[in-house]
Amino acid sequence: MSLKIINKSDLMPFVANMMGEYEVIGPVANDIGFKFATLTDASQVRLNYNTTVIPPRKTLLPTQETLFSFQKDMLAPTFDMKWRVLLGVHTCDLHAMCMLDEAFARGQPDTHYMKRRATTTIVSMECLDTCDENSFCKSMNTLTATSGFDLHLIQLGDFYAVDVGTTAGEALLANHAKSHEATRAEIALLDKTMSQKWSKFPVRLHLDGKDLPALMGVSYKSPLWEEVGKRCFGCGSCNIVCPTCYCFDVRDEVSMDGKSGERYRIWDSCQLDEFARIGSGENFRKTHAHRLRHRFMRKGKYIAEAFPGHQGCVGCGRCARACLVDITPVGVWNSLRQDHA
Amino acid sequence: MKPKVAFFDFTSCEGCQLTVVDSLQTHLDLLDVVEIVQFREAMSERGEDYAIAFVEGSITREADEARLKQIREQAALVVALGACAHLGGVNAIKNLAPLDDVRQYVYGDKHKWYETYAARPISAVVKVDAFIPGCPIDREEFIRVVKAVLLGKKPPIPDYPVCVECKLKENNCMFHKGGFCLGPVTRAGCGAICPTYSDGCEGCRGAIPNPNQDAMKDVLKEHGLTVDEVMARMTMFNAFDASQLGK
Repeated sequence: MSLKIINKSDLMPFVANMMGEYEVIGPVANDIGFKFATLTDASQVRLNYNTTVIPPRKTLLPTQETLFSFQKDMLAPTFDMKWRVLLGVHTCDLHAMCMLDEAFARGQPDTHYMKRRATTTIVSMECLDTCDENSFCKSMNTLTATSGFDLHLIQLGDFYAVDVGTTAGEALLANHAKSHEATRAEIALLDKTMSQKWSKFPVRLHLDGKDLPALMGVSYKSPLWEEVGKRCFGCGSCNIVCPTCYCFDVRDEVSMDGKSGERYRIWDSCQLDEFARIGSGENFRKTHAHRLRHRFMRKGKYIAEAFPGHQGCVGCGRCARACLVDITPVGVWNSLRQDHA
Repeated sequence: MKPKVAFFDFTSCEGCQLTVVDSLQTHLDLLDVVEIVQFREAMSERGEDYAIAFVEGSITREADEARLKQIREQAALVVALGACAHLGGVNAIKNLAPLDDVRQYVYGDKHKWYETYAARPISAVVKVDAFIPGCPIDREEFIRVVKAVLLGKKPPIPDYPVCVECKLKENNCMFHKGGFCLGPVTRAGCGAICPTYSDGCEGCRGAIPNPNQDAMKDVLKEHGLTVDEVMARMTMFNAFDASQLGK
């Protein structure tokens, strides 16, 4: 829409002002890294964070969420209608959330997700350097974003360029920040910074992310799945940390007298034993190899085909960091690519 | 009529029964739905008419078997309470050494006076209907299991590993912090309490179904443990399981 400028010294006041009106969720430091958390003080925010253990999708799809409470002949849905600002989202995670928006709106819309989405304003953040050796956003074309955000920040020395994406973003900026229209010199600096950043991100995947559905299409019978399956714990960490995973389990918590209760959902993982186990005890995906293949099919092919214009993997590298036995998307896809060279 | 419940203990520290007492502080309504007729740690009455028996402790003497079998005969449901009853627990570490050596180490020249045999979970002696894992048990899980049993449902004990709950808590991985952890092969349900406080999982809740023990050993070795240290860690609570596997 338009390009504004916030001076660096005006950023903390902007965050503090937003906190007066919204729950502001942003990256904060924890013991050896960072996580998204509700800010209680503007100074907690760490916009220079590299990555987080679990992605910001938890703001839209909480790790555990009550759906409704019940008694005999009575059912009351539970909605959390808090107005939120999600601050400091990297573009990989932003692309993932755009995919989730599509997945939860399609068919019978998921009311709980949709209501949270409608009350959440996203202020994303341009990465100007690579986070570590595990990310491969460049190959997945998620290194930047032109939409999906309400506001998008790009740090340029002593000031932030602010790309205004929506009217909600425009209002947030007008009401809470001291900003000005970008000058010609500031726009020139932005262009220069943006063109210089590309070379800082190495290419790690030996194919373009857009070709993954084709590669996965010919890889169903690859012996690689058995090979990596032997190492896999089936611990589910890769799913929990993934910004594009959205499977959940539904459970009931009943009161002691058995007369009332709550139904809630909790993040699930296709790598776990019970995920594809059905009532009779049969399991559709018995081995770690089958489950891993399913996961990589989702990430490389099924999601891209189900939601055109979106990808099942955004190259954030979280699953690679979480895996103790070095099963990584770059490793798996490069190996499959090699087999079809 | 409220179902009658009794608590029993064998070789154990009684910490799981203490956790039950503790859980009554926050869930006093438990007493509205069950009648406790025997609970040595918490009351002096001693009823022998019970339908549900919670049993803490492992079986470490032949003489214990008769008492456990009698409990089984009386109770419609037998629930193993905690790691000792569920897995054999730390008591089973002695199974890894010759039994005579163990007796001499503990009782010196009086060792012949003390009867003992290889420690085992109660399921090695009688049929067990449900188990509540952990050293000690998790009080919320105890309440969930009681509620499920009263509703006639399968107790909701997770089949997935601690890593799931640890990641949901957004903990940084113990291995990334220079520690060691059995989370990838250990049954969840504890809310990953140890790694949450930066102490690696020691496996007190037993292994998940189909654990990748080979990968676990490899990862522990890669991060600097010797073979002996790996085995010591993996048999702290699971020596009975490990000695069975070795047969």
